[in-house]
Amino acid sequence: MTFNNKLNYLKGQLGISNIQFVFFQKKTSFKSLGFLEYYNQDFPYYHVELDGFEIIKKTNSKEIQFNSFFNFYSNNSALLTNIFLDKKPIGLIFLPLINENSTEVRSLIMHFRSQIENQLIIKDLEQKLSITNKDLNNKLLEIESLIDVTEIIYNQSGLKKNLFESILITILSILNASKGMVLLKDEKTGFFNVISSFNILKNQLPNKIIRITKGVLKELNKDKNAKIIDDPQNYEILKASENNCIISPIISGNTVEGVFLLFDKESRNGLIKFTQQDLRLFDSLSKKVSLAYDNIRLIDSLKNSNKLVDNIMSSITTGIIMINILGEIEFVNHSAKNIFRVNQDDVINNHYFIIFQNNLDLIQLLESSEAKNEIIYEDNFKIQNSEGNPHEINLTLSPVYNEDNERSGIVFSFEDLSGINKIKSTFKKYVSGNIVDELLQNESSLELGGTQSEVCVLFSDIRGFTALSEKMKPSDVVYLLNTYFESMIEVVFSNNGTLDKIIGDELMVLYGVPLKNNNDSQSAVKTAIEMFKALDVFNKEIEKQNLPQLEIGIGINYGKVVSGNIGSKRQMNYTVIGDAVNLASRLCSHAKSGEVVISRSVLDRLDNFEGFKEQIPIKVKGKSQKIDNWIYSVV
Amino acid sequence: MNKVTKVELIGDVVVISTEGYLNKDLGEEIQNAANEHIQNGVNKVLINLERSNIVNSIGASILIEIIEQLQDTDGVLAFCELVPIIEKTFKIMGLTKYCESYETQEIAISKM
Repeated sequence: MTFNNKLNYLKGQLGISNIQFVFFQKKTSFKSLGFLEYYNQDFPYYHVELDGFEIIKKTNSKEIQFNSFFNFYSNNSALLTNIFLDKKPIGLIFLPLINENSTEVRSLIMHFRSQIENQLIIKDLEQKLSITNKDLNNKLLEIESLIDVTEIIYNQSGLKKNLFESILITILSILNASKGMVLLKDEKTGFFNVISSFNILKNQLPNKIIRITKGVLKELNKDKNAKIIDDPQNYEILKASENNCIISPIISGNTVEGVFLLFDKESRNGLIKFTQQDLRLFDSLSKKVSLAYDNIRLIDSLKNSNKLVDNIMSSITTGIIMINILGEIEFVNHSAKNIFRVNQDDVINNHYFIIFQNNLDLIQLLESSEAKNEIIYEDNFKIQNSEGNPHEINLTLSPVYNEDNERSGIVFSFEDLSGINKIKSTFKKYVSGNIVDELLQNESSLELGGTQSEVCVLFSDIRGFTALSEKMKPSDVVYLLNTYFESMIEVVFSNNGTLDKIIGDELMVLYGVPLKNNNDSQSAVKTAIEMFKALDVFNKEIEKQNLPQLEIGIGINYGKVVSGNIGSKRQMNYTVIGDAVNLASRLCSHAKSGEVVISRSVLDRLDNFEGFKEQIPIKVKGKSQKIDNWIYSVV
Repeated sequence: MNKVTKVELIGDVVVISTEGYLNKDLGEEIQNAANEHIQNGVNKVLINLERSNIVNSIGASILIEIIEQLQDTDGVLAFCELVPIIEKTFKIMGLTKYCESYETQEIAISKM
């Protein structure tokens, strides 16, 4: 039964079916109680507050013209009283009376009135509750949207477009916006581009250059807070808006990196303005997004830095292994993996005890570095890789520290010397070990290309070797020569000579290239004399093997030569050419067995020329003038 | 864009399919489409939201109006193919108390 039906029933029961009402205003609660027909907006005495009950006479109702509103029926008077809600009069009850003084009627009216008032209170509460429920639902939606945005941000994989698209849709729906878009700054140009839009026609999207220094973005950049724009027609980028807009910056590192724009808030009755409450929620959501965007940029930047570091680490030949405070390997670069012959997966997160179990000396060094907390350097340190192959390395163990200056591990860096050693050993076949070491330590001393320099050139050859070799077995010839050269070259290298070439039974040795010494001529002469001593030893050994003894002659000259790589692209040799070389060769030819012939240029540079005797100048091929010469004879 | 893409009467159920943002405009379009059939005595309305992935509270409140209309004639409104975010909004707005949501259109029609 509706309340109206209930009232009609009560009217009948109480005998007050002529009872009439007027309400001073239109209220949903009156309507819901079935009182719509009693509302009369033309009633002139709104808000009349009566002092309890009043009797109105039909004939002398001068003050209030009730006749047009109420029906006295056949009665001459009526009882009038207020209906109250929250202690305020909200309407009137009008009951035509036969007996004006009946207390029973007044009591009935009071009962009736309280029924109505109670129902109105209940209805009012129901309505308030309904509104509160609706508000709560809206709040719940707002909370859910915050959760949704958090979820989107949490699950984002760094793809900016997808992230902003998802967030735009979520914010747009919670704020009942009709459409919206996201602008993002292009890092190269500094212009803002539409990265995502929703429900905006293509021709309504901004098509001009958007800068932070112009228009609505300029205003946004001032205080960097969300704002409501009530005059969108004044801004090019807001041309899609029909009503008003709400915009908010996406901030990273205190600069505006992007903008959220929502257009035209919807209501059931059409477009309405965005409210301050909307602004608050929008601002809060945008700040959340800003934080996320900041993180994305940070992660991107870290990824790029890591990529760069990885690239550098991979490309360098120095082996790098990072060991954390627990002794576990956190990083190993390409060179280190290559030298130790290990795989990334086998090494990472494993303790160095396991990885270097075949390198106890290395483990000891690492332990020592951990214990002493100091940098350790070791040269020519021997290690063994996982395949059992030995390597020689120069290593550094450096403790590393975190931001709080606490030790966080060790960086083990090392140079593999295997390659260098291989080059060294090859190079040492041509140049003395001292020179190789010095060259490797002091690269600038190595002059390449066709440069002119002064050198001392020594030639030696075996006297009568061609005739001798014809009488010998080829294998004996080779053996004899190899043994002889080994013995002679040993002497050459011990005096820092550079073996230029072996031509048949002839040796060509240089002093002063590629490195200059204090007295190259003295070294050359010393070499020559020692060669004869070495030859004595050699001959005695050879004699035991029934092989013929050898005799040699040596020529030495000092002078200007051109040094460099000489030959073709397919084959070239580092050598020297020039008159000084030719003269040295001529002097060698002039030397008899057991003699060292030197030129004046050599003699002038000798601190000690004891044993050298001046000879008659000789005529040599290619020289117009005779050559002064001195001979040292071992015989 | 946001629109009603198809309205078809399957048996005694009018199926209204949509596309895009279920906001005021689309809500009213759905309401108009439903009204045409309700006036002709149809009282089972199924809204297929497969191609709508966003709704606002105004759109949802229009759907409540349709539910109320149908309740006056002992009719029923149902949804199908809801994306999770719309399902959640409907739940919060109280729609799911008064109408069913089905996974597919076929299931919905067979159960309505």
